[in-house]
Amino acid sequence: MAKIELYNITKKFGNITALDNINFEVQDKEFFVLFGPAGAGKTTILKTIAGIEFPDKGEVRINDKNVNMVEPAKRDISMVFENYALYPHLTVYDNIASPMRSPLHKQDEETVKKEVHRVASMMKIDHLLDRLPSQVSNGQRQRTALGRCLVRDPNVFLMDEPIAHLDAKLRHFMRAELKEMQSEFDTTTIYVTHDYMEALSLGDRIAIINEGKILQIGTGDEVYLTPANEFVAKFMGEPEINIFDIELEDETQVKMLGQERSYTIEEDVAEVIKEGEHKNIRIGLRGNDIAFSFNKENEEYIKGQVYSVEPIGNKTILVVDVNGQLLRLIAPNDLQANIDDEIFVRIKMKKAMFFDGDDYKYIYRHNQNELLGVE
Amino acid sequence: MAKLLLKNLYKRYENKKRKKGEALNAFAVNNFSLECEDGEFIGILGPSGCGKTTTLRMIAGLEDITDGEIIIGDTVVNNVAPHNRGIGLAFEDYALYPPLTVYENIAFNLRAKHVKNEIIKAEINRIAPLLKVDDLLHMKPGKLSGGQKQRVNIARAIVRKPQLLLLDEPMSHLDGKMRQVLRTEIKRLHNEIMCTTIIVTHDQLEAMSLVDKLAIMKDGELQQYGTPFEVYDNPVNEFVAGFIGEPPMNILTVEVQKKESSFFFKFQDANILIPVPQRFYSVVQDGMLVRLGVRPTDVLIVGEDSKGSDVSISVFENLGEERKISFRVGEGFLTLITSDDKRYKQGDIVKLEVKSEKTHLFDVKTGEKIIAQ
Repeated sequence: MAKIELYNITKKFGNITALDNINFEVQDKEFFVLFGPAGAGKTTILKTIAGIEFPDKGEVRINDKNVNMVEPAKRDISMVFENYALYPHLTVYDNIASPMRSPLHKQDEETVKKEVHRVASMMKIDHLLDRLPSQVSNGQRQRTALGRCLVRDPNVFLMDEPIAHLDAKLRHFMRAELKEMQSEFDTTTIYVTHDYMEALSLGDRIAIINEGKILQIGTGDEVYLTPANEFVAKFMGEPEINIFDIELEDETQVKMLGQERSYTIEEDVAEVIKEGEHKNIRIGLRGNDIAFSFNKENEEYIKGQVYSVEPIGNKTILVVDVNGQLLRLIAPNDLQANIDDEIFVRIKMKKAMFFDGDDYKYIYRHNQNELLGVE
Repeated sequence: MAKLLLKNLYKRYENKKRKKGEALNAFAVNNFSLECEDGEFIGILGPSGCGKTTTLRMIAGLEDITDGEIIIGDTVVNNVAPHNRGIGLAFEDYALYPPLTVYENIAFNLRAKHVKNEIIKAEINRIAPLLKVDDLLHMKPGKLSGGQKQRVNIARAIVRKPQLLLLDEPMSHLDGKMRQVLRTEIKRLHNEIMCTTIIVTHDQLEAMSLVDKLAIMKDGELQQYGTPFEVYDNPVNEFVAGFIGEPPMNILTVEVQKKESSFFFKFQDANILIPVPQRFYSVVQDGMLVRLGVRPTDVLIVGEDSKGSDVSISVFENLGEERKISFRVGEGFLTLITSDDKRYKQGDIVKLEVKSEKTHLFDVKTGEKIIAQ
């Protein structure tokens, strides 16, 4: 049980800055996700906490104590790797017991037995203790690996993409398994992933990392509904968010997508844009935030052409070309449409996010505080 | 452009070191038949090792056929050399010539056939904009991104005006965003040139989004051949049902229970009861075990006053666009997906209902679909 703190961590490999002034604080028992593309520096952060990498600058603190000079083995950290690394020749029981038989954390066999049974029943694998890892299912193997970490009651769990190597289907299942067990961990956990659904599903808070920098730290709702900048917005969600330039006519009127008529932005948004003196504005709309119809239902609907129709099972990704701007929409899976058909789209202004066209940073969205549940 | 016919195709890789009396290797492709109309876009989909790439390689002529016939247009091509089959191929890795410019890479096959320079130029000028590589023609492959390389690779395959275009996992090297874009471009391209195309992939979203018809393979055998919607909506067996769709279909063993004159499905290891749809009444009996399949979008949380079962939520996941809710059933979960904004937490009790017209039944032993009378 512990609070983990990274303070001004910088790490260079040769000329490359792998970590650039990383700061965050993980609360006791929090499930904290490090999320970013390959090469962002997520694993390097994890290794720095574990003590396998040494920072050039900055401090790692566990429970307010600087541990920079503490050896990895003495930091009392438990790591779960991608392939779980169970001992194939040991039973589930012996695998779970193994940390308590190591020289550093040696316990008498009586305690080992008690602990193994406590953890196994928590993980619902108490009926499998005599089996070898090859004789249990994927989910049970994961639970064995987690159980092995739990017996030690470590300061912190570090998990490096533990389910990334599985196929999409199994990943859905294992993610649910992990989430179900989360409440049982009762231990500070730092979890690395490049899958936005894992990040949203599991994290109490998520840190979004790119090129060694933290772009945003927040709850799932915060990073999804109010992304700090366009990069974060694009990195969360499938299909990718639509972002394009709009033209500010006066305080509340905008022009967009080559249309003659103007569109009204919500009052609260207009106010924030005015106060911030933003000159160039971009609008961000997720796949559900654009409505479509094959008739011009009212003057809000903008004419376009169907660029592509991509059914993917429970929904269809509809790509619409509006004056050269491609928009990706989510449509029902029984949609009937052909390439180059005429189609009309309506921008849902109440759902739109706004970004600054100069630095691509997030500005505001309608009803932001209500959405995030803040006063 | 031509139609393609595969007739009872077999492929067995011979074990050269086979000892006397040892069994032959199993068929890598086993009695595979397929009919593909002129201009159609066909996807061959299956888990790794199912024989999909072997099938593609046999069509291309890169692999001998153990038995059966391949007909392109009106010609049986079993004994036609690969370069005479009129096929354009684009593989997963692009294998572009690094010292040549994009232009020369695309021109390469035509040069080998001694096509005149003016014609080559005209052809490349026609193809390049279709694949959006017209701005890259003077560049060398080393400077291109993965997505651009694959576009050049496909351009090179179609510049020869093939009768048949074969794509082998063309997007598996690309990251999410590039895939999404290239997927759209390939779809547009096919609509433009209407060349009969076969794509082999293990990514079902990619296959479903692109093709007119899908052939799903497992262990060398064709499982189902139909439009993506048919395969999604009416899978012929448990394998296809579980393979198509993401998140996957819930497929769980249930026991049929008779209460008075009504039948119910009772989930094993969970207290969930679902009324058996009327159309299945003639094929179920009290005490029978069946595999019940239902898509996560067809399981609903309903109001307090409805009939459904009371169930406790095991996992609630907020995934941005949608929310996924799972209920523990033995070793597995019954999962639902909803775009409703309501937030739940672990342990909340809700009432569940299943869209009965969207349920599928499979035989416990064979996995074959049980057809309602």
